[in-house]
Amino acid sequence: MIQTLSRNNLIILVVIVAAIWLLPLVLNSLWIKVVTSAVIFGLAAAGISVLFAQLGLINLSQIALVGIGGWVLLRLNYATGLPFTISLVAGGIITAIISSILALPALRMRGLYLALVTLMTAGAFQIIFNAFQFPNGGEGFWGVAQQSAGAFRRPLIAQSDVSYLRYVLTVAALCIAVAGVHRLTTPGRAWAMIRQSEANAMAAGIDVTFFKMWAFALSGFMAGIAGGLLAGALQQLDARTFVASDSILLFALAIVGGVYHWLGALIAGLLFKLLPALFNDFGVSADLTLVIFGAALLHAIMTAPRGIAGQILSGFAGLVKHRETSHD
Amino acid sequence: MKNLMKIVPALAFAAGVQAFSPALADSHSEMSCGMNTGKAATGEPIKVGGINGNAPPGDFSGGTDAAAAYFACVNANGGINGRPIEYIVENDQWNPELAGQVGTKLVKDEGVVALVGNGSVVSMAVNAKLYADEGVMAMASACAISECYESSNIVSTNQGPLPSGIGALKFAIEELGTEHAACIGFNIPNNGGWACDWMNRYMESKGKKGTSILMDPTAVDLNSVYLQALAERVDTILLMLPAGPAIGLLKVAEEQGGRDLFKWVSPTPIYEPGVGEVLGDYWSGHLYVNIELAQYDSDGADNRNWAAVTAKYGKEGDRLDTFSQSGFISAKFFTDALLTLDPDKIDRATVTEAIKGIVGVESDLLCGPYYVGDADRHMPNHAGRMVVYKDGGFETVRDCYDIDTAYLDPIREQEKALGLSQ
Repeated sequence: MIQTLSRNNLIILVVIVAAIWLLPLVLNSLWIKVVTSAVIFGLAAAGISVLFAQLGLINLSQIALVGIGGWVLLRLNYATGLPFTISLVAGGIITAIISSILALPALRMRGLYLALVTLMTAGAFQIIFNAFQFPNGGEGFWGVAQQSAGAFRRPLIAQSDVSYLRYVLTVAALCIAVAGVHRLTTPGRAWAMIRQSEANAMAAGIDVTFFKMWAFALSGFMAGIAGGLLAGALQQLDARTFVASDSILLFALAIVGGVYHWLGALIAGLLFKLLPALFNDFGVSADLTLVIFGAALLHAIMTAPRGIAGQILSGFAGLVKHRETSHD
Repeated sequence: MKNLMKIVPALAFAAGVQAFSPALADSHSEMSCGMNTGKAATGEPIKVGGINGNAPPGDFSGGTDAAAAYFACVNANGGINGRPIEYIVENDQWNPELAGQVGTKLVKDEGVVALVGNGSVVSMAVNAKLYADEGVMAMASACAISECYESSNIVSTNQGPLPSGIGALKFAIEELGTEHAACIGFNIPNNGGWACDWMNRYMESKGKKGTSILMDPTAVDLNSVYLQALAERVDTILLMLPAGPAIGLLKVAEEQGGRDLFKWVSPTPIYEPGVGEVLGDYWSGHLYVNIELAQYDSDGADNRNWAAVTAKYGKEGDRLDTFSQSGFISAKFFTDALLTLDPDKIDRATVTEAIKGIVGVESDLLCGPYYVGDADRHMPNHAGRMVVYKDGGFETVRDCYDIDTAYLDPIREQEKALGLSQ
């Protein structure tokens, strides 16, 4: 079974990597932008999955963390001459630190109470973003001037929208790979034990506080990177992009997509950005997607706890098994 | 916010009722569009784009509505030497991501030769670089952010909040005795922040005081803004807002009996034919508005043409505000520029050159000559008129006058270089 799943993972990985290089060749300019956004928010959803799948923790502040990463990248872009990628990683690290600090209440909370605390955090950041706005080349700590935004630097290898999509896909794949390595090594084993029983984990010598904060830091890092990539995509950010309600929506879509496999995060990103764009392009109100998302969430909770990704992978595994049985 | 959501549709409905001036709306015989052949154009379409922002907290679709009506009229009258204009309009819904997507769709995927009638608070900021990189011009009509007036490939027929707001304050200082004004706008750096910052500089230059009160556009709390203005002890309130929130704030003041505590002035967005049905008698004689184009019931040829074209070719529910006039005249200037081109050689490059070649054209809708030229920024319209809200309508209290602000220094240099001023 493990071998089958590993082979399935490998096949899907090959398909996704091929898509990375083929997608920009077949999409027109509009859909290149849409898919870029979808992948970015898929990365943010992958951060949600780390916490929920590994520790059972609900984080409803992921969009706020995306905003923090974007804020840091913009600030560094305007204040320093650092290359984009350095600023991007710095944004990820700073967001990881902030996320792990925000994790402190989570050390004693789970379920609804943790969800409420993280949601209030998202609300607080929404107010901060609206009050202070995003850097646009101004002076001082906030870097905001009452004027048009200054010149923005994208990575030298990703100046066009097409090359930027490839850059985003590559960075997202690397981040998801980092999360995958965590899952398979010491942190993953520790998280699994903590999820089963914190008391047992402590008895086994696991530093529960440290590993919980580590999980929040990893989740925050992925959100911070996503924020930096979003800033690079739009070449500016607006506070209206980071409303608290979108954190709830992204969490719900992570469940719908499936939190136990990276494919689920990608599906969540596509649902979050691709579906509304399709509706807009057809001249239908994108608000209708909320109805679809609600129905999809009900479906996932009642019949598909592993999400759409789980259904796809199960179907794929069944197909492979059927073929192997036929050959035998 | 609930109040605001009630007011906006009401205003849109009122604005959409095209009976604001029967005399003007019935003047179909005066209609003039492009070649005026009376025959529909049947050649290869010329793709033209337009982006508006129509979602809470504001509707800036008047420009594209009127441009669409004018282009429909042009197409019914011979088009551009036989070629019809295919006008593709997108709504950015005040969403920066969506603004970038629809801008890219129009410019790269649809390959539009230009954009006309644009009106948005986010689109120009996101797409200004795209327009410059792709060599496409945007003849906007309802601009409200700094990028509209500080970009090489965007030229807007409307003034935007900066000249219109300063125009309102100039009148307030000279006629109403203003000493300390509060500029109430959205906390968006290149919109409310930018405009109110220049308001304050203007007030300082006149030895007066200005205070910015900026609010969150995603959570408009008009009661707290009003209370903040009271606390600041200002004597004048400048409503640097789209029509919906501006009217909402006036309603808050009305509920609290605050009309006589301040002098009330506003830039152009609140100037709409249907506003009287929403404001009622309470504000009669107490609300002064700087209008960026002519009065919507003025008797000039272009204004009569605007009324006739929008009455015949507009859609039910189209906004008929200053931005509608602005979209109409932008579309007219654009059409006139295209008619100078060989119809077989109309592409983005020739159209961009033709638009940049527009210099010194005039209209009764504008106080001064309109021009584009080849420059790193454009602001051809910076002189306006002042009206007072009275008995459900508006009366002119000061005809065309210009403003004095350092912001216009590079614009004045352009005008000198183009021979439009001394």
